[in-house]
Amino acid sequence: MSASRGWRRLGRGGLVLLVTVYCLFPIYFVLVQSLKTAEEDIFGNPLIVLHPTFENFEELFVPSGKPRSFVGTVLRRNYPFFVWLENTIVVFTGTIVITLLVALAAAYALGRLRPPGFRWWRRVIFATYVIPQTILFVPLYHVVNALGLDDNLLVLVLVYPTTALPFCVWMLSVYFQHLPREIEEAALIEGASRATAFFRIILPVSRPVLVAAGIFTLGTIASDFTIASVFLLSDINQTIPAGLGTMEVALDELLAVAGINLMAIPIVVISACFARGYVRGLTAAMVEGA
Amino acid sequence: MTSRRRREIALAYLLLAPTLALLGCVLAYPLGWEVWASFSNLSPLQDSPSFVGFENYRQHLENPEFWLAATVTVGHAAVTTVAKLVLGLGFALLLARPFRGRALVFLAVFLPWAYPASVSVIGWYWTLSPPITTAYSVFMGTLKYAVDNALGTGAWAFLSVTLFNIWRGSSFIGVLLLAGINSIPPELFEYATLESRSAWQRFWAVTVPLLRPFLALGVFLSLTSGFADLANVWMLTAGRIIFPVIGTQAYWLAIGAGQFGPASALSLLLVPFLLAALLVLFRLFDPPDREVA
Repeated sequence: MSASRGWRRLGRGGLVLLVTVYCLFPIYFVLVQSLKTAEEDIFGNPLIVLHPTFENFEELFVPSGKPRSFVGTVLRRNYPFFVWLENTIVVFTGTIVITLLVALAAAYALGRLRPPGFRWWRRVIFATYVIPQTILFVPLYHVVNALGLDDNLLVLVLVYPTTALPFCVWMLSVYFQHLPREIEEAALIEGASRATAFFRIILPVSRPVLVAAGIFTLGTIASDFTIASVFLLSDINQTIPAGLGTMEVALDELLAVAGINLMAIPIVVISACFARGYVRGLTAAMVEGA
Repeated sequence: MTSRRRREIALAYLLLAPTLALLGCVLAYPLGWEVWASFSNLSPLQDSPSFVGFENYRQHLENPEFWLAATVTVGHAAVTTVAKLVLGLGFALLLARPFRGRALVFLAVFLPWAYPASVSVIGWYWTLSPPITTAYSVFMGTLKYAVDNALGTGAWAFLSVTLFNIWRGSSFIGVLLLAGINSIPPELFEYATLESRSAWQRFWAVTVPLLRPFLALGVFLSLTSGFADLANVWMLTAGRIIFPVIGTQAYWLAIGAGQFGPASALSLLLVPFLLAALLVLFRLFDPPDREVA
């Protein structure tokens, strides 16, 4: 009896270890490469770094116009990484704020005010995920040109919310729908306006779900490479993914890897801080009468 | 009373307006354009497009290349979705019970999805197909040629992106299902433990039915996003790596060859299947309740 329990615990421990390695190894591998000197990148052990250095990260911030080293007769290009970083922060912040505001409004309408056929509205909004993105770029370019946003960061602030909005509206509106009517009604009877009741009562209780929507939005927009590369052409208008995609990897492999980490690590840290809230929010959205 | 209700409904439409405007601008108008283009021979190489009916669709359906691409696309979606579900369910069940260090293992499971795929796709791709000499390029190169020789050129690229998609997606589905398990009252599980004879039986009789809405949601998001990683790599390599799937073929037809009509028809051909999947899944994750609105 106790022997079989011991085996079971051992098996479970092994499984936990396996899962952890499977999840973290790629992340670890990319991090290790970025800390290497060029020599170690070629001659060292791929799995570890013996002489960690931040020179790849520092090199990313060499101002444009300053000459960099030659490889043979090829001058290595300079990249406006700092500008890419600023652009990325602007686009991501803008997108998350817009997505949450727009989703909250729609979710309140569908979950609390419930116009006729609100379930169908919700389904139709969610169903927009089936639209194939592949050649939408051509007509989307018409829209972008009509709005005068060609090669402009605002394109992404316009397009990105639509990739996360259907899920956020769905999740928030299901949650609002399951909130008991009484919690608002008491305030309304005492003469408070709908807006007051929303900001004082509904918004505070839905914080976990809002966090979940925000993290989902961040994860979704941070996974896009294609839209950013199609619409942002000149290098000073690019975000980090689009910019890194234009790097000459044969010459600047270590620089690109450093850039990957510089974008990934802050996002991973932010997401990790909210990870528990994310799960709690997803759970709250699903539990009836939460 | 009725006037109050009417005001509520008006307010509801007002609050829905921004969502509808955004989706209309970015999705509905382009979709309408695509549908219209699919019935024409629209091309930037030609001045006046004319209506050709179902000609574009007919051409695709008669083309063996289309059927190859359709098979690969559906196969890719099915394989990645099943793999993500199995792994994700495993992660969720592992994390559902307390053990020492659970919080850390949970973070580890969460990170592949949180790690921005836009840049990890760059790292992933260049690691698996290194362009230059690095300490690991000989190993990766050997692997690449072995796989390509066995399965055909481009197989390694396709396989590696598929693995990446599974790595990332299993993390998302694992966390989603964990949230689902947390939403099930523990008493239900305890009762089931008393009632059922084996863990296997309990899994099929209790866990799976209770998680049904979450499983359905995971399947749907996996089906619709399954293509995104392929598209990312395809863009990254400027179309040098052409995967025989519907999405890249359509993109190639539109941007490379300027044949907007056939390209639109091609990318729309998958929509009926996705819609059918969605309708089935709606029944699972949004069951019609009898509550009067």
